[in-house]
Amino acid sequence: MKKKQKKKSRKAEVRIPFPNVLAMVLVCVAASGLSYVWLCAQCNTLGDEIKRLESVRQKASQQMVTEQSRWENMQAPANFARALKQHGLAMTLPGERQIVRVRRRSGSQALTLAYNKQGVNKADEL
Amino acid sequence: MNYKGRTILASAMIAVVFAGLGVRLAFLHLKPSEGTLSRIERGRHMEEETCGPRGRILDRSGNILAVDIAARHLCVDPKFILENGDIQQVCEAVTKVVPLSRSEVWKLLDQPERQYVRINRYMREKTLEPLMAMKLKGVIFEETSMRNYPKGALGAHVIGFSNREGVGSAGAEQRMNSYLQGTTGLRISQKDGRRHEIYSLRTVDIEPQPGADVYLTIDQQVQHYAEKALDEMVSKYQPKGAWAIVQRVDTGEILAMASWPTFNPNRYNDPRLPAEWLRNRTISYGYEPGSVMKAMIIASAIDGGYVTPRDVFDCENGRWMYGGRALHDSHGQGLLSVADILKMSSNIGAAKIALQMGNEKVYQSLRSFGFGARTGVDLPGEEGGILWPVKNWSKISITRLSMGHEINVTALQMLSALSAIANNGIRMRPYLIQKVVGTDGETIFESLPSELGRPIRSETSKTMRRLLARVTQPGGTGTKAAVRGYSVAGKTGTAQKVRPKAEGGGYYNHKYLASFAGFLPVENPAISIIVVADDPQGVHYGGTVCGPAFQRIADQTVRYLRISPQGFPTEYVSDIE
Repeated sequence: MKKKQKKKSRKAEVRIPFPNVLAMVLVCVAASGLSYVWLCAQCNTLGDEIKRLESVRQKASQQMVTEQSRWENMQAPANFARALKQHGLAMTLPGERQIVRVRRRSGSQALTLAYNKQGVNKADEL
Repeated sequence: MNYKGRTILASAMIAVVFAGLGVRLAFLHLKPSEGTLSRIERGRHMEEETCGPRGRILDRSGNILAVDIAARHLCVDPKFILENGDIQQVCEAVTKVVPLSRSEVWKLLDQPERQYVRINRYMREKTLEPLMAMKLKGVIFEETSMRNYPKGALGAHVIGFSNREGVGSAGAEQRMNSYLQGTTGLRISQKDGRRHEIYSLRTVDIEPQPGADVYLTIDQQVQHYAEKALDEMVSKYQPKGAWAIVQRVDTGEILAMASWPTFNPNRYNDPRLPAEWLRNRTISYGYEPGSVMKAMIIASAIDGGYVTPRDVFDCENGRWMYGGRALHDSHGQGLLSVADILKMSSNIGAAKIALQMGNEKVYQSLRSFGFGARTGVDLPGEEGGILWPVKNWSKISITRLSMGHEINVTALQMLSALSAIANNGIRMRPYLIQKVVGTDGETIFESLPSELGRPIRSETSKTMRRLLARVTQPGGTGTKAAVRGYSVAGKTGTAQKVRPKAEGGGYYNHKYLASFAGFLPVENPAISIIVVADDPQGVHYGGTVCGPAFQRIADQTVRYLRISPQGFPTEYVSDIE
């Protein structure tokens, strides 16, 4: 008799009512589902962000190339000469007499004048 | 039917509809048919192939000569505009940015049955910016890219151009097409109901790679000097064509290659552009060079020991009969040394020197200087010129060859031969492609100077340099090519133009081809230059027409490249106290 009573009381202690179990399962499922949906949403948001950045990067590189091209166009010798003329700047290369040429002799740090007339006049000799 | 019955019926009907939808949904999700599945897959599948941009073309200093830039095709959906938009507003806005009249744009827009019409292709984004800002309904801006040549016409014949499909069609663009072309990228993914890509479902993503960068040996500044000098010559003498090349003597690198008339590669497909203007005459125009050839003949004669610079020849006072035909000099002379024959450009003297050499030796010498064969320059469309074998020669051929007739050469061949005289007798392969650099900065290909042969010995080269220097000194035919402060060696050339067989053959009486080829400084040559003018008006002498152009190019180039009068390169020294 005592044994039966003990068994009954133990069973009564561990048993959780079915609605509670169902509620817990449903909560777990809902939580998992919501987590899944949240993660999916996060992934999509990140994906969208990556795509946006991809497009920004592409646009930036395109813009860089376009600007580079415009800069190169401005630096074209003909355009450069035109711009100088427009601003009233006259630039000429220095004449040979205005240039002092120096040469560093091999094995020495000293700089010496490199100009001599030999190169000009040697052609006269025959 | 009472109220309760109607409610039950309505609920039952709604339940049936929802049950049907549910069943359909279950079928679609759980066990869809093959056809349905493939239809869904097709609708969601996204596969994009994108071409990497074409590589850039740069000059030797890294200045960009050709590059791919972003562009747009301007398109419209006329049906949508007519149904939902404002056709008047679209027409006004579009007319402002395209090179079409209002009526032309209206005609394109007024097509209610069409959903896609391309208004204008390859437009710069900058041009379209105001139109894009208006956000007009039914106006579409398709992304694309286009080839851009930021320097305009500068070096057009060397750079060439690539067509709308991104295939190189002329010049370096064509020759280096395989390096310049980018790789194709692939993206496989899925898209949502709004046709936007779902990033998380992207399965394949291979980025397109841009093509490699091609560095040319051309220097944009030297190229500009050459083109400007040609322009000045053209405006003064109105020739039909003019061309010039600047080459580094010791390596064979081409620093400038200019051809007039020229074109802007950004508008290569302009219908008004004559095809002849696209021709690079420096390598594709064969001509009889005239007296410049005397330099090679005399160099070979001295090298072979047939004559010395001091040997004297009778120049017959300007008229000499040989093989039943008369040979003339422009200025009659009596006895002339070999040195003076070159300086005064005597045809009779050169003919007599060639006769001492004999047919076979003259032929071999000219072959060793590279005539009658392509130089191998890395550009498409090079001509090899014509040098007939000895068996095809007549009795007088040798006397005509010595004065640059009965032979057909290109300017590049002639310059290459002259550079050999300047370069201690070593003929270098002329080249235009310096290197090819991949996207990772690694050099894929590099051109190195290579020898093509040695037509004359070093001692002969030294003698010839001094003999040719006399041409630009007082009394010579090329005094206008002299550069202040530098010693210049060169040779003038004036040849009557060949009359085509269709017009009766022979030579035109009053049409000439003038040229001047030379190098400087004499003792240690750094650069060689050739200038050619086709049919100049008024004056026709090579020294008068091309000499000043040579002088302008040489004068600016040596100072720009910091070449000293003695020939060695100098550098700016900033630490002198």
